[in-house]
Amino acid sequence: MEKTNGQIRIGFYICHCGTNIASSVDVQKVTDFAATLPNVVVAKHYKYMCSDPGQDMIINDIKEQNLNRVVVAACSPFLHERTFRNATFQGGLNQFYFQMVNTREQNAWVHLDPLASTDKAIDLVRAAVQRVASHKPLEQKKVPIHPDVLVIGGGIAGIHAALTLGNAGKKVYLVEKEPTIGGHMAMFDKTFPTLDCAACILTPKMSAVKNHPNIKLCTYSEVEKIDGYVGNFKVTIKHKPRFIIDDLCVGCMDCVEACVYKEARFPDEFNQGLSRRKPVYMPFPQATPQLVLIDPETCIWFKSGKCKKTCVDACERKAVDLEQQARVEEVEVGSIVVATGFQPFDSKKISYYGYGNYPNVYTSLEVERLINASGPTQGVVVLRDGSHPKTIGIVHCVGSRDKNTNSWCSRVCCLYSVKLAHLLKEHTGAEIYNFYIDMRTPGKSMEEFYNRIAEEGMKFIRGRVADIYPDMSDPDHKKLIMKAEDTLIQEIIKVPVDMVVLSVGLEPRHDAQQVRRMLNISCSTEGFYIERHPKLAPVSTFTDGIFLAGCCQGPKDIPDTVAQAGAAAAEVLALIDRGFIELEPNTAFITEEECSGCKSCIHLCPYTAISFLEEKKKAFINEALCKGCGTCVAACPSGSIKQNLFDDEEIYSEIDGILNFDHISRELSYV
Amino acid sequence: MYKEKTEKGHQIKIVAFFCNWCTYTAADLAGVSRIKHAPNFRVIRVMCSGRVDPQFILDAFSKGADGVLIGGCHPGDCHYIEGNYKCLRRFQLFKKVVADLGIEADRLRLEWISASEGDKVRLVINDMVSKIQKLGPLDLPAKYKSWDSEMELLEKCVREQSNEIIKEEMEVISHG
Amino acid sequence: MIVDIESLRGLSMDTLYDSPEGRLIQSCIQCGTCAGTCPHGEYMAYPPRRIIKMMQHGLIDKVYASDSMLKCVNCYACMSKCPREIHLTEVLLQLVKEQTIIRLPSVPPELQKALENSYRYGNPMGESGRKRINWMKDLDFPIRILSQNPDPVDVLWFVESYPSYHPRGQDTARAIAKIMHRLEIDFAILGNEERSAGECGLLAWESGLAESLVDYNMAILTKYKFNRVMTSDPHALDAFNYRYKMYGFNLNATHNIPFIYEYFDKIKKMFTRSLHYSVTYHDSCCLGRHNGYYDQPRQILKAIPGIKLIEMVHNRENALCCGGGGGGMWLDTYYKSQNMERLSDIRVKEAIETGADILAVACPYEIPRFEDALKLAGYDKKMMVKDISELIVDSMGG
Ligand SMILES: Cc1cc2nc3c(=O)[nH]c(=O)nc-3n(C[C@H](O)[C@H](O)[C@H](O)COP(=O)(O)OP(=O)(O)OC[C@H]3O[C@@H](n4cnc5c(N)ncnc54)[C@H](O)[C@@H]3O)c2cc1C
Ligand code: FES
Repeated sequence: MEKTNGQIRIGFYICHCGTNIASSVDVQKVTDFAATLPNVVVAKHYKYMCSDPGQDMIINDIKEQNLNRVVVAACSPFLHERTFRNATFQGGLNQFYFQMVNTREQNAWVHLDPLASTDKAIDLVRAAVQRVASHKPLEQKKVPIHPDVLVIGGGIAGIHAALTLGNAGKKVYLVEKEPTIGGHMAMFDKTFPTLDCAACILTPKMSAVKNHPNIKLCTYSEVEKIDGYVGNFKVTIKHKPRFIIDDLCVGCMDCVEACVYKEARFPDEFNQGLSRRKPVYMPFPQATPQLVLIDPETCIWFKSGKCKKTCVDACERKAVDLEQQARVEEVEVGSIVVATGFQPFDSKKISYYGYGNYPNVYTSLEVERLINASGPTQGVVVLRDGSHPKTIGIVHCVGSRDKNTNSWCSRVCCLYSVKLAHLLKEHTGAEIYNFYIDMRTPGKSMEEFYNRIAEEGMKFIRGRVADIYPDMSDPDHKKLIMKAEDTLIQEIIKVPVDMVVLSVGLEPRHDAQQVRRMLNISCSTEGFYIERHPKLAPVSTFTDGIFLAGCCQGPKDIPDTVAQAGAAAAEVLALIDRGFIELEPNTAFITEEECSGCKSCIHLCPYTAISFLEEKKKAFINEALCKGCGTCVAACPSGSIKQNLFDDEEIYSEIDGILNFDHISRELSYV
Repeated sequence: MYKEKTEKGHQIKIVAFFCNWCTYTAADLAGVSRIKHAPNFRVIRVMCSGRVDPQFILDAFSKGADGVLIGGCHPGDCHYIEGNYKCLRRFQLFKKVVADLGIEADRLRLEWISASEGDKVRLVINDMVSKIQKLGPLDLPAKYKSWDSEMELLEKCVREQSNEIIKEEMEVISHG
Repeated sequence: MIVDIESLRGLSMDTLYDSPEGRLIQSCIQCGTCAGTCPHGEYMAYPPRRIIKMMQHGLIDKVYASDSMLKCVNCYACMSKCPREIHLTEVLLQLVKEQTIIRLPSVPPELQKALENSYRYGNPMGESGRKRINWMKDLDFPIRILSQNPDPVDVLWFVESYPSYHPRGQDTARAIAKIMHRLEIDFAILGNEERSAGECGLLAWESGLAESLVDYNMAILTKYKFNRVMTSDPHALDAFNYRYKMYGFNLNATHNIPFIYEYFDKIKKMFTRSLHYSVTYHDSCCLGRHNGYYDQPRQILKAIPGIKLIEMVHNRENALCCGGGGGGMWLDTYYKSQNMERLSDIRVKEAIETGADILAVACPYEIPRFEDALKLAGYDKKMMVKDISELIVDSMGG
């Protein structure tokens, strides 16, 4: 600094980004222009500014040319602001003596006319050069990271993340909405592409979670509220009443046996309603934890207040507690993994596939249960009327790739349809028709899997099923006709089948928006949570300290879900082991001399960071609480609130730069 | 197309204030998805739409912006809980001020664009540009200049008139 | 489904990709849903899916040379199921149909005659314009005719040709008149001035004919002052709400069933007679798939005492077409010559399967088509075809 005698010396760099920027923006012209701007000492363009040589260029120029400010026009600051701030720092400057110009995402990639793109770049470069002059040296605030972690959702994603973190010695709260962990995977019989049995690979992991000393498993629980921010979240967990005392229940099922309902009468959720359960039940034999629960919706005691309460008496350990209330617990964690998964598409929305109308139309999830050895029929595939299907048609892409329902490809349906084709053939020996639009089998071993199953003699028909209706020529109209165009032989075909399987797509859970709001993360229009960067930060979110795993981020298979869960755990561990996180120093502060004590800012702050100093009659901002939104800054009538990184002066100089406004002649230079 | 307009003299310029979390991200998403739109806007990133001081808007207009666009998160989605409500309230009041200044309503716009709505960025910007293009340039600085010269003229007249008066008075005095 | 209707005006095969609706075609994934759901798909050498591919490959002339599009009955089935929401029936198929008909060595005589009649007499039957009001004769109350009394009116009822001339259509017209009268609605008709709205001409893309009818009706309609337009033909409804808009004529018409449904609470109280029928309802393509009126007709039927509503296998958005749309009304002979099963015959089989006493309809084309099909099936003694309006009047005690 001393070397420059208080003079501003700016280095300007524009990146070609290969041809990404250079093909739309005339980088030479922008460089030449920048060189003419006041205070600009160096103006250069380079193929890849973010590469090592690019960064070195900045570092060397700072040292050799005594630069004290840096401006880089390249991609979005979301991508490389950190990189260039670091280079600025490496050159020996405060890292905030840097400003970035978004020339790729918000310019080269979205405009068609190179002239216009170049003009836009020039305006924004002028703005950045003017802005950077008023930048101040700032220190980043370090926030310590609480080492405990919250994992929301106990599907395979949540299970794997929790185990990885637990194994690394971190304390994990795993919160699962349902009475058992396992998610969708627990319902499957076998999994593609290896056809290994889902239970065999999943149940050991489930019990590992249950028994892990570092994992606190909260099933039948929900996160109600999250306060605070990275490093220090306050989480409110609500434990719904099971009406069973967890610590006493050993899962012996004597109470179930003793229930006044001798017959199981209520649809069993886990079996997709294909079997019945009692009001007191265990979701499925391998449920984790091994606890029964009482469903107040169906229990006669809760409905009428009259019951012999045989379950209470049957329990020797006195574990049944019909008075149990919901319990609320507050915990502190430093980071969060969101693993809330997906929900299957509701087939009733496509009326012409007849689900809910014709009993022989099944969803894929129902079929998963039907062929499962521990399912409602012990793995025997029988239709609702007790008969055995001899021909089965599988409809791919149900609810997927369709603008009327969900426009995306659900990624796993082709493969699980092939899996189900194989399993159904194995179980029934039936003739199987797969109706597909495009066979999509990406991923390791997937195409091989498809080939192997195809060789078993399945019929593959390329055409989307257009209609399903009862076959009137069949004596009891039980057979269904599947009508489609076989687009490869260019014929309309009508295939009579005994059973239709709808391969439903994966969609965001109905409560995804609610959870997103609570977490303050973003989701795409369809409702899947958005990662910070699709390639470079696939498990991070825009909210520091919150990470994503599994199908809540988008449809994917189990291998990818597990890989992502591992990645999320790794990100969390990196955060914890570092011990702290550096926050953007964009907080606001009060210049006391100017504060008139009008108090108008106080109620504006959603974080109660602003208080009033009675003795001085001035407002005061608690920096630790301030998140840096700047709302108070905009509202202060006396202009006494300043915001680091986004100060008035900085923004006004950007406006000047953009509009090419020259204060001295008070007119636009281009007019 | 662009060139034609520049040759004619004026290119519509819109100053846009986008909040970091939703609208700026949406504009990035538009880029990643290569959603083409009009190039006539220049984005200034702020952390939250709540940071947009009405002074910024006035400043932009008075320095030659033809339009000002503010982009924030949808109601309920603000990263800072309610900055966008504060922005909305201010905006409602400020709209009147802008109207009083004789600036057409279409030149000032507030839009909620979430991080996933890349296409909305296109829709909003194209719509705003086409509306402002119909209105033509605002060019307040030039107007200021003409107002300034009007003022000068006025002052000159006043000065001259008072000189006359003084002269007359002097004459009266000297003749008296 | 929202279409920027005005942007479609003047669209041709050459300018197709200039409109957003046209460009959508390029997103086709060739899934074949259109062909699979098309009631005549089996008989088309070029069902919609193949038309799109042929177009993309510059082979569209082959499609024009075939008679595939002559078999399109404008039932909107392909369009409503298309996963890419391509506006097949509304945009592409019309244009292809036009080109097909232009190239046809000879237009099937029945269709030719209907189009000619529409042009010369304003109705496809070739009846005299003067007879257009004959259906009113037996009514015991007068109906205002605007040419005689042009004062402003609340509801302008566009009767259309089938309800005006066809004996069974006239029954429907009288029933509607009685309902309007009982509801004490201020309504009037165009009388002899009315001419067919031209929907079938439009959908058969006989543009010249269609445009002359559109021009004519637009001129007549602008003469009078009215608040609302109601029509007793779903095809006219389509014409007004979609096609006329392309010509810049913004008339938001309604059909008599949704119209009556607006007075549901009032009319329910007038149902005094129990009818003791089991009824199955056939969704008209224009009313259902194109305009989304599935519930209104059903609600009305269910409100009539004694009526039990049974659904056919194909119902609502998946209903089968009666085969009368898009010129199909006058192509039965042609279809027969191609060994095609009549759609009305297929539909009637589904109706019979329900065991219902009555096949209820809401479109004037359907009564003659289904009555004929029932006769052919030897079932006309066991099942009656009735317009919903007739059933309403029956329950109101005439
Ligand atoms: C029919 C079918 C067959 C499939 N077959 C295969 C296969 O063979 N091989 C393969 O690799 N993949 C298969 N898949 C894909 C596989 O299901 C997913 O990859 C996997 O289940 C994703 O796991 P997850 O943990 O992300 O989500 P999920 O399994 O959905 O788990 C999410 C969990 O989070 C819980 N939860 C949700 N919201 C909350 C909340 N707010 N608070 C607390 N808890 C919450 C849920 O109750 C659930 O337990 C199949 C999918 C389907 C539909
Ligand atoms: S952060 Fe987007 S409006 Fe507040």
